[in-house]
Amino acid sequence: MPTARPIPSSTRPTRFGTLLLVLLAALAGARPSPVTAAGKTTLVLGIDISDSRTFDPARQFEYSPPTTMRAAYETLVTMTPGDYVHVKPLLAKSWKLVDGGKAWQFQLREGVKFASGNPLTAEDVKFSFERLINVKDQPAEIAENIASVEVVDPLTVKLVMADKSQPLLNILSSVTFAVYDSKTVKAQGGTSGKDAEKADKATAWLDQHSAGTGPYVLTSWVRNSELVLERNKGYWRAPAAFERVVIRHSSDSAAQLLALRRGDLDAAFNLTPDQLNGLGRDASLRIVSTTSLDFLYMTVTSGAELNKALGTRAARQALAHAIDYDGIIKGLMAGQATRPATFIPVGLDGSTEALTKEIGYREDLPLAKKLLTEAGLAGGFSFKLTYAKAAIAGTSYDVVAQKIQSDLARVGITAELDPMDQTTLRTQYKEGKSQSVLTFWNPDAPEPYLWAAASIQRVAKRVRWTVPKELTDLVTRAGGEPDPAKQAGYYREYQKALVDQANYIMLVQPVFRVATSRTVSGFDLTAAGWVVDLYDVKPAE
Amino acid sequence: MRGRRVLGLLGAGLVAGWLVVAGVSPSLVPYSPRQVDVMARLKPPSAGHVFGTDALGRDVFSRVLVGSRVSLPSGFTVVLVAAVVGTLYGGCAAYGSARVEEGLMRVTDLFLSFPPLVLAMAIAAALGVGVRNTVLAMFVVWWPKYARLARGLVLGQRSLDYVEAARGLGLGGARTLLRHIVPNTVGPIVVLLALDVGNAMITFAGLSFLGLGVVPPTPEWGAMVSDGQALIDQWWVSTFPGLAIFSVVVGFNFMGDSLRDWLDPRRER
Amino acid sequence: MALRYVLKRVVACVLMALAATLVVFLVAHTVPADPVLAQLGDKASANPETVARFRTRWGLDRPLWQQYAIFLAGLARGDLGESIASRRPVMDDVRQYAPATIELSTLAAFLTALVGVPLGVLAAVRRDRLADHLVRLLCLFGVSAPTFWLAFLALALFYGGLEIAPSPGRLDAGAVPPPHVTGLFLADSLLARNWATFRAALAHMILPAVVLAASTVGLVTRTTRASLLETLGQDYVRTARAKGVAEALVVRRHALRNALLPVVTLGGLAYAELLAGTVLTETIFSWPGLGRYTYQSAVALDFPAILGMTFLVAAVYLVMSLIVDLSYVVLDPRVVRR
Repeated sequence: MPTARPIPSSTRPTRFGTLLLVLLAALAGARPSPVTAAGKTTLVLGIDISDSRTFDPARQFEYSPPTTMRAAYETLVTMTPGDYVHVKPLLAKSWKLVDGGKAWQFQLREGVKFASGNPLTAEDVKFSFERLINVKDQPAEIAENIASVEVVDPLTVKLVMADKSQPLLNILSSVTFAVYDSKTVKAQGGTSGKDAEKADKATAWLDQHSAGTGPYVLTSWVRNSELVLERNKGYWRAPAAFERVVIRHSSDSAAQLLALRRGDLDAAFNLTPDQLNGLGRDASLRIVSTTSLDFLYMTVTSGAELNKALGTRAARQALAHAIDYDGIIKGLMAGQATRPATFIPVGLDGSTEALTKEIGYREDLPLAKKLLTEAGLAGGFSFKLTYAKAAIAGTSYDVVAQKIQSDLARVGITAELDPMDQTTLRTQYKEGKSQSVLTFWNPDAPEPYLWAAASIQRVAKRVRWTVPKELTDLVTRAGGEPDPAKQAGYYREYQKALVDQANYIMLVQPVFRVATSRTVSGFDLTAAGWVVDLYDVKPAE
Repeated sequence: MRGRRVLGLLGAGLVAGWLVVAGVSPSLVPYSPRQVDVMARLKPPSAGHVFGTDALGRDVFSRVLVGSRVSLPSGFTVVLVAAVVGTLYGGCAAYGSARVEEGLMRVTDLFLSFPPLVLAMAIAAALGVGVRNTVLAMFVVWWPKYARLARGLVLGQRSLDYVEAARGLGLGGARTLLRHIVPNTVGPIVVLLALDVGNAMITFAGLSFLGLGVVPPTPEWGAMVSDGQALIDQWWVSTFPGLAIFSVVVGFNFMGDSLRDWLDPRRER
Repeated sequence: MALRYVLKRVVACVLMALAATLVVFLVAHTVPADPVLAQLGDKASANPETVARFRTRWGLDRPLWQQYAIFLAGLARGDLGESIASRRPVMDDVRQYAPATIELSTLAAFLTALVGVPLGVLAAVRRDRLADHLVRLLCLFGVSAPTFWLAFLALALFYGGLEIAPSPGRLDAGAVPPPHVTGLFLADSLLARNWATFRAALAHMILPAVVLAASTVGLVTRTTRASLLETLGQDYVRTARAKGVAEALVVRRHALRNALLPVVTLGGLAYAELLAGTVLTETIFSWPGLGRYTYQSAVALDFPAILGMTFLVAAVYLVMSLIVDLSYVVLDPRVVRR
């Protein structure tokens, strides 16, 4: 480094100048001109897949993997976008109740082959479902109503229910009930026996490959980086439109937007409402949307030991009537949300926007004040509102909580905000020690009974609500009712009771939006759990 | 020299200005810092809202002014308490036997190598979020550097000839301590303190940025920068609170810098 | 004798890193949160049987001292435990996120040295003149600005406003990373001779590196200046001057090398701190590095990950300070060895 000649002082500034130039040159090279997508054989999606831990259907329990799983695996029945009441045939072409209503018997479609070439048989269904149950990982919970799986003949399988009054059909549409190739999975160390919890070794392989009947096959997954699916040439319907589907991980919405604009991505899944609203000016992009089945809600305890005022129903009802719901939806969610009356999201059997208008909570300050006076709390009261550092569709819970706090102050109710880390909050909440929690519910499967049962069982425990027997019976009746119209009637009664009880205040059911390039079409979003069926996505004409 | 004094006075002026603002801001502000108006959210700076509005439609200017009431005292408290405790600790260590001193200093090394973030999060989880608990967490990792400095200074002083001479003459230890050691140690510690307040404020703001610190809706500069972090197009939400932090810290640093030069015995007059 | 000293220091480092983990372990376990309840899905966590099963599966039903002992035993094997959040060895998580932080902090350290040392020399040589004052002002500003604020400003200005900087992240959202060899995108893209990716990776790195460097430049500049001033006042320098050697040569040949010793010390420690990963900068620039990982683990009370990272961070810091101390002992014969 030291040279023989001393460096004259005049060159020193030049060194900085050079540095600056180098930096600027490098920066300049970073923003090439927009690229148009041509010769579309690969579909590239930008999704935040950081929550993915595994792609083994028997262990998968996170938010983003179902999109991939649905492309690689298929279930007996499925749901089409927008209709979450009636299941449609997929691997099963028909089904009926047998054994006095104790079991469902499914007739499988002929000629379906797995990506490996092996034919689909009832044995594979039995293996897949039993493995799910016996591996005893988290998703096994939603299979609790399956007592046993019987093979009637190579194309007929019978699912015997544990409790015939509880629903099963709608739940089977969840990707957790993926049917996979028993031969392939067994060869990779998979087992469905009673000892599967310890003995099964197929997960590592399933994280990098798929053994399903779906239109695509998982060929690689680099955690937090990217995921690649390739066309399944032996698919039982017409082959998929793309040779490859690449999901590129991106946790930054601004980066996704930029890449979408430049044509590097065909779709961006994680844009914020403000970014989406700003897309209107860009002619090469479009926004597809659907009302999700997720919601943000507020629990309010009935336990007087935790908060004397909240122990009174009138006080809770007053609280519910003091919140500016429209302000939250129009102001904070840019209008991109709806709101259910209570614990069943809009779109499922028995819950509609009309019902919310009819029996759901409304901002009504005079009523709130009246209720407070009735409860002997004319001067208001205070309580603790706990929430975690999270966001719903780009709006942070923090912001919603502060809005609620400001709303409630108008009738003299003081909400002390209590932000907490997710872990402590879940512990405290699940142990029933929270006065009021702002939290999120997203579906395991589009079956209203799952919500209703939860609301009167485990969630009721958390809010210290002793549920009257009539309500429990009503929910049981609704769950076992095969006729959708009658079922809707039961759920209407159930919702009225919950609204009256005022332990759960629904705030926002967001509209899920994805921005796509106009070079692709068929992006029909669904709220059933897998966001979009990639088989439907095709290059635009 | 004159330049440095000007800077020092400038710094003192900045700090004093903010102290005044912290004191009287609630009566100065055009809007209540808690006034929510969702339909006026994220509006750019204008005549009505000098610094624009945030995600809940609250006036950023008012929140920045009132935020000084939390952001200023928290950093200062941490440093002051850490300095006092640390100095006492380090001073005592310097007086102990070599073994004792070694042991005590190893303890400070342990605290120094601690990731403050993890500690702060653990304390927040155990005791709850809030200014007091965050200050506590910061204090735990802050005092070691004063201990180190104090020990070094006291050791240095003790070995000085005149101290040895005084002891040889039979003058009591306490008198030596008060008359000679303390005056010569206080200077560098005060300088470090002045320069450190800025650091502490920034660290506190950083912890608030991560979700510790204040409980909403109390305005605090670090938390406010965090609120606007994802809003690149609505730059005003994060820029102005950050500017406030910057201006206070610059003030303290100018002051400390001047102080250091003034106290430096080697400077050329 | 020197070897014994080194050995003693190394052992002390290891012990202290372990002590740090013990403290974190104890603190983390006194927290009322239950990671099992937090990690399990809603339905599963309501079933006490399931909770108990997963508690056993994750080794959280054993007494505290046993859990810590298991951690220590694993440490001896190089196994930092299995993260509860990602369900894979913490070492794998570290291997995935470390390269991002190493690349960024190395570039930041390089920039710091590139800018800081010459500025410090300038300020020392032009002492008390305008250049010195300007440099001093710059340093004070650099140190006074919170990193997370600078990061935001940089992003808002260069990416949002002027649109000359690329989007946050190591690469564009639609881009293909280079084939994995080291995990360092610069190195990997060079190895694959992929110039476009190299340029893109570098471009993405510049803004966060500059922001990180801005906070350490001030310190390096001031230390260089002070150290050089002190060295310039030494006898041997005065001798050289008296002999008629040109000033610039005096500075470069004689003074600078010695003056740089304390700068190296500082630099070493600053680099260690950078390696620990700055949560704030990584968060704003969506940089998938160790800082962000540590933060996410802390929030999720992911004990194995927290312990692993604490040990790693403490070890890196202590090793760095050991290396720096040793280099002092080796380089500067005046340092007294006890």
